[in-house]
Amino acid sequence: MNWDRRAFIKFALGAVAGLHVSPLVPKLMDDVSIWTQNWSWVPVSEKGEVRSKTSINPRTLTGVKVKVLNSRVSGKRIIGLSGDSSFSLGNGGLLASDASVPQKFYYENMKVTTPVIRKKGVRGQVSADEALEVVIDRLRDLKQSGKSSRVAFFADYNCQSIVNELLVRFVSMYGTGHLIFMPSAERMLELVGESMFGRKSLGFDLENSQYIISFGTPFLEGYGSPVNMRKIFVDWKNVGATFVQIEPRASITASQADIWLPCKPGKEGVLAYAMANLIVQEGKASSFVKKAKDFDSFRKFLSENYDLDKVSYEADVPVDEIKKVARGFMESSKAVAVCGPGNSSDPGTLFNFMAVLTLNAVKGNLGEPGGLVVREKFSWENSDRANLDLSFGNGTISAKEKKEIRNNFNMYAFAKEVLEDRIKIDTIVLVDCNPVYSGPRTKMMEKLLKKVPFVVSVSECMDETSKLADVVLPKASFLECWGDAVTPYASARSFYSVHKPLIRESLQVKSTGDWIIGLFDGICDLEKDSSLSFRSVEEALSLRISNMGDDFEKSLKREIWLQKNASYDEFDIKTGTGKVNLLLDVLYKKYSRMSDVENLIDRDSRVVMMGIPSLRTGSVNVPMSPYQLKILDETTLAFKDRLIVEVNPSTVYELGFENGEMVRIISAVGEIRASLHFSNGVRPGVIFVPIGLGHTAFGLYLKNKGVNFFDVVDVYTDCVTGLPEWELTPVNIVKMGEVNDHV
Amino acid sequence: MSSDSVSTNSRYGMVIDLDKCTGCGACSVACMSENNIGVLPDETDKIRSITWLRVYQIDNGLPYPQTRIAFIPRPCQHCAGSKGHHTPCVSVCPATATDRDGQTGIVSQVPTRCIGCRYCVAACPYHARYFNWFDVSWPEGMDRPLNPFVSARMRGVVEKCTFCFHRYQQAKNKSFVNDSSEILEGDYQTACAEACPSRAIVFGDLNNINHEVFKLKKNPNVFRLLERLNTDTAVYYMSKKKWIRRKADNYLPNEKDGD
Repeated sequence: MNWDRRAFIKFALGAVAGLHVSPLVPKLMDDVSIWTQNWSWVPVSEKGEVRSKTSINPRTLTGVKVKVLNSRVSGKRIIGLSGDSSFSLGNGGLLASDASVPQKFYYENMKVTTPVIRKKGVRGQVSADEALEVVIDRLRDLKQSGKSSRVAFFADYNCQSIVNELLVRFVSMYGTGHLIFMPSAERMLELVGESMFGRKSLGFDLENSQYIISFGTPFLEGYGSPVNMRKIFVDWKNVGATFVQIEPRASITASQADIWLPCKPGKEGVLAYAMANLIVQEGKASSFVKKAKDFDSFRKFLSENYDLDKVSYEADVPVDEIKKVARGFMESSKAVAVCGPGNSSDPGTLFNFMAVLTLNAVKGNLGEPGGLVVREKFSWENSDRANLDLSFGNGTISAKEKKEIRNNFNMYAFAKEVLEDRIKIDTIVLVDCNPVYSGPRTKMMEKLLKKVPFVVSVSECMDETSKLADVVLPKASFLECWGDAVTPYASARSFYSVHKPLIRESLQVKSTGDWIIGLFDGICDLEKDSSLSFRSVEEALSLRISNMGDDFEKSLKREIWLQKNASYDEFDIKTGTGKVNLLLDVLYKKYSRMSDVENLIDRDSRVVMMGIPSLRTGSVNVPMSPYQLKILDETTLAFKDRLIVEVNPSTVYELGFENGEMVRIISAVGEIRASLHFSNGVRPGVIFVPIGLGHTAFGLYLKNKGVNFFDVVDVYTDCVTGLPEWELTPVNIVKMGEVNDHV
Repeated sequence: MSSDSVSTNSRYGMVIDLDKCTGCGACSVACMSENNIGVLPDETDKIRSITWLRVYQIDNGLPYPQTRIAFIPRPCQHCAGSKGHHTPCVSVCPATATDRDGQTGIVSQVPTRCIGCRYCVAACPYHARYFNWFDVSWPEGMDRPLNPFVSARMRGVVEKCTFCFHRYQQAKNKSFVNDSSEILEGDYQTACAEACPSRAIVFGDLNNINHEVFKLKKNPNVFRLLERLNTDTAVYYMSKKKWIRRKADNYLPNEKDGD
């Protein structure tokens, strides 16, 4: 064929026509589009039968429905959680941290699934039995050589829980006085309640109250059972209750309040006493306080020190506002004043607790609906925690084993003593707590764990504390073990619930209680009488439920939760005198001391630092999930994981700072780096730092996201109670010479 | 508001009470868990971060101590379009990867049809559409809790809130099995509405007089976002606070506030 111009054109036209008719082009395009959308690393989740099972998250006290998928190849797995509307706390919703439980449960860089032992600086995995044996050998050797007191136990304070009871019994049997609890508002309320009224289990009857004053309590940022708090909050709106929030920042709670009294930081208690003063001076004080033996001195003290004009100046709240709130509180038939915990994830201060409980006593709402009530006890609860004859029938410990337990609630004072060699400690056992991250003086706690020769951590996560431990005993999630959930902080009603195993992912994890029972078994051969009558947490719970007069099996079938109603019987004062103790002697002491703290804070070039609690970042005890990280906006965590702190423009204009300026925030114990965010909602002179960020553990998705607020938080010991307080930290802000846009 | 009349077709939608919303983020995380939304190593890069339901924080702009804050949860608004206007994203999609279902009023998104042109992302006035710039990796056990009823997406496609359409299909199957012609209100609830601990999000059929949203959308404090665009959205908001309504409705300072 002659390849001339005509032939070429014919060929070209034929090719064009052919391509149009041929299925080749669309077929290839189709294949390409399918190929580009079928990457092998896009997972295809296997289907199967889904069953919904009820449970309770003991950390958040949310009743949940757990979706368990049973598939043919990959077996059982959890694919989601939703709220349980039949649950008594809340109205069926859940929290961000509940919704991300499955993600945290399967995220391998977070969950510990096998015991870990560190030998010569190298960590290795071992079986549960081997790990337990190592710990038992260590504890047994120390006990046999008469060095029991060289062992310290650190734990969360959760006094009604089965773990707490087992731990107290174990420590008593073992014979060390160093059982140290993480600081808690619950303990503070117990102490002040006992001192003032001779009653420990106090609760604020928020559900039935019509006039509520919160003295700095972050109701909507994670108080008690957060889902239940939201139900109460919506009910307040529906019934038209008046809700007053007193705090220095336009927080979520303050913005949702009917009245917000923006006060100087740390002045909430002063305002409470001022309101009490107004009520007393107007002759409307209740018979509870009028009967108190030092009432006249108390009245005089209030009028001298808590005069409204003086307090108005001191707290920077107008007199009219204080009067309006105090009178509204006094005139309402169902009113309550609430305190603790603090915004800096602190237990609150003794002064605030005293002031608020005094205000309630002056109002006379003790034992009244919507007031301050005493929670009913479950039958197994004992009034004296040092007396260990608790609920276990055969397991009662004999008198000779009742060692004096020093329920030490100040681990920072303890750490300092150990670091200064005033106390000799060879072993620390940390039970489900992470003091290297979740409290003040993190560097000091890290130093402590590095100094002590043998550290054991019972933990669900490979967190900052567990990374320093010689032995990590993996704690089972609530999805895979027996356990209980107990009354939230300052609840008016007692609450108890049990969760049971729904799935088994690893054979090497155990509930905290089962680890303690394992230690008991390994060591109690030295103390024959002290053996337990049960072999597992399940049996212990069964005994406890039986002691409550309930059948365990039947209870479980109806998805057990037990709750007693708020008690409105007469509020018996059980102090030595049978009258309310207004704690005047303590007040004299605290009043003089407050001035010292203020002097420290008001020094030139210093500002005060407080925390920003949030359900988005989660609580310090529950690390956030990768999903929770996604819901943080640019005013919390900015581009490239920069921590953002809130500050009023007027605080830093004079110093020449700009919005987005990178600064060093320096306190007496450390420093952090962050970007400034100018916010009108915060009080001038105060810098607010988000809590819950800056973990140095948990892998690519969670490590080094922001900075830990607690790295810069200082702590001081209350001179009256000996408890740690860290509501406010004086800091300096220093420019780094870099400005970044973050919004 | 064009959706006030009772229609034989369903129109699923929400009424979100902003006075009850406390910005806890439970709705957002429940949505992620339900719809297999991926996580990137750097989630602070908000151009690439995917959040079908984003909760925005607003404030009233006043100085201390008059400042107040509030939150606006923003899922896909499932626009119907009114007065001659179309659903913005549907009308620009060249691949029919997104479409509005006349029976439910839900604007769908089919990732396998999407060619990644991102016209819909540009057209959406609510920033409710997200583009997968990268393949999401599911390492370290994070693929275990994936919901098998929703496909994980690949890079190069757009995704958005579907009002948990798979739940609608499950509810439809249930009503079929039960020999019922109607899907019950409780049988079809989105993950976010189910999760909200304040019960601020109420979901249901806006055209069904038995559903709570039918009554709620007639509340005088109800408004929709950017109503002037005639997008006729299926997500209503409610607040007694004037400053929230003004700010959320995007009225300019010199405009009337619509009261």
